[in-house]
Amino acid sequence: MSLNVRELMKPFMEVQDDLYCFAKRAKQAGEKIAGYLCTYSPQELFHAGGYFPVRVIGKEGGTPLADQWLQPYACSFAKGVLNLGLEGDFSFLDLVVFSHTCDTMQNLAEAWRRRVEGAPVIVVSTPNLNAGDIALNYLKRELARVKEEVENISGSKITDEKILESIHLYEKHRNNMKILYQIRRESPYLISGTDMFLVVLSSFVMKKEEHNELLEKLIRDLKSITPEDVKKPRVLVGGSVCQAQGFIQSIEGTGAVVSDDDLCMGSRSYVIPPVPQGEPIEMLAQMYLSRIPCPAFYKPGYDPAQVYIEKVKSGDVNGVIFLQTKFCDPYAFNYPYIRKRLEQEGIPSLLLEVEQNQPVPEAFRTRVEAFVETLMNR
Amino acid sequence: MSEYFVIGLDIGSATAKAVLLDNEGKRLAFAVRPTGGRLVQSAEDVKREVLLQTGVSDDCVKAIITTGYGRDIIQNKTKSITEITCHAKGAYVMMPEIRFVIDIGGQDSKAILLESDGQVGRFEMNDKCAAGTGRFLEVMARTLGIHLDEMGDMAVRSEKSSKISSTCTVFAESEVISLLAQGEEIPSVVSGLCRAIAERVQALVSRVGVVPPVMMTGGVAKNKGVVNWLSKTLRQELIVPEEPQIIGALGASIIGLELIKRSKGSLDKIIQNI
Repeated sequence: MSLNVRELMKPFMEVQDDLYCFAKRAKQAGEKIAGYLCTYSPQELFHAGGYFPVRVIGKEGGTPLADQWLQPYACSFAKGVLNLGLEGDFSFLDLVVFSHTCDTMQNLAEAWRRRVEGAPVIVVSTPNLNAGDIALNYLKRELARVKEEVENISGSKITDEKILESIHLYEKHRNNMKILYQIRRESPYLISGTDMFLVVLSSFVMKKEEHNELLEKLIRDLKSITPEDVKKPRVLVGGSVCQAQGFIQSIEGTGAVVSDDDLCMGSRSYVIPPVPQGEPIEMLAQMYLSRIPCPAFYKPGYDPAQVYIEKVKSGDVNGVIFLQTKFCDPYAFNYPYIRKRLEQEGIPSLLLEVEQNQPVPEAFRTRVEAFVETLMNR
Repeated sequence: MSEYFVIGLDIGSATAKAVLLDNEGKRLAFAVRPTGGRLVQSAEDVKREVLLQTGVSDDCVKAIITTGYGRDIIQNKTKSITEITCHAKGAYVMMPEIRFVIDIGGQDSKAILLESDGQVGRFEMNDKCAAGTGRFLEVMARTLGIHLDEMGDMAVRSEKSSKISSTCTVFAESEVISLLAQGEEIPSVVSGLCRAIAERVQALVSRVGVVPPVMMTGGVAKNKGVVNWLSKTLRQELIVPEEPQIIGALGASIIGLELIKRSKGSLDKIIQNI
């Protein structure tokens, strides 16, 4: 049965060797590629404008070039992607899209504009307050402006029909990912969290059309597999890490299974309520504001701890591991409150500070292993 | 002669430790040796040493539990368990009423809260660098040209305590050199260094939230200067067992015994025999 799951994972594994192999192939075939750094970038608009949107992420390694332009307190994600940009790794991009989430992202856009040669840069300004008419109207105007900017750069109009098509494609993809999340919650031993995050990672660098097909096949195939009869502690991973796969793998190496997450490149991008039909730009604005907000944003009535508690209770989760990217202050300010609430509910948790461009350190594994030992002894 | 024996091996960054128990949980022997760069060899050495001390043969050892940094590299182990769980277990069997363990080893320090049944509740470990650990003291002893073992007494006897404000080992080293250049006495500097470790560890302990009684384990617990300063900063009495360095290995050996006995006996009898 494990062989079967490995077979099922094969189509997704190509991204492990070269994250951007699909984008580079498309580029060679004459397509235009848009790289976005934040999941609040309206990917649907770029898709409608004829671009293949891929998420810009860093990779393991030092950041000597980026260190010249970014202060020591900039996070490893910002440094990692800028370093790759300066090395020319993103020369295949035709457009680079930033969002104003935290200050580092905002300033990274300007550093990139000045230092990285090549594609034009667009900055999308999502309102920090994620609710109410003012925020909605603001984001609608902003998305309309971004649409115009894309039209000016590409030289072709983006019609409402095109945007609607893209919205439906992306919604279909989210629905497929939601089904996969549901399957993981119900039988977390069917595929590992490590495999799940490979699927998640590939979803950000493959065409949604192709990823949809792979997902639909995966979901069909998974339904025909009987899960292994094992009992492992279930862990929810939350935090401010973009590329979580290495950490997830390390966590699962200690005998736990990561059955759910609260991550940007994870459930926060996919578990979103359906968008009510309407005028396309309004639909997009509604959708982005209805997400579980990025820790850099504020949404009245949204309680970050409640999300964790509900996930833990409904998914029979045994413990929570926080992956806090060093210097990510928006998430760091949320953490003490979430931890306190989890404690009140008797839910064990572990905080780990991580760097996104470094190999998983030994001390990380020791802490996770000790935490999993406590979960097993409970 | 006992039916069988278990060994706990704690392969730390500075020293390798072994504890040999009989099937009743009685501690028959222990050994401590520097690890150097040879983790596997030092583990083998301490294991041989406890077997030699007692005349127990290899075949009679029913379980070997490994812990510490080198826990996974050791072949022929029954199981590896993290040092956090092992120190908690070791402290608990030494004194079942213990609720908190502060372990300061060669390159990490840990604050562990124990549930009343001896299980690990919450814990914290020092961040990436070795500030506030045994390595810090080793580096400083070298800088000051004194022995690691004499630092504790020197600190306790000193009436003065220099202020060391840097928590980084490298920066603290240059701070020490400037203090000496300003005419500070070595004992005063040593006392200041012990306080610097205590303050560093205090932050770690506070993040978990200290609950008495508190036991201090690990090699640094042998340094009276650190123990005194830590006791002062935490406003807590610290219980230091006779051999604080072997508590992790002891915990590992107990876990080995529990694994064997899980189906039959309870821990109570084992505790009485320790």
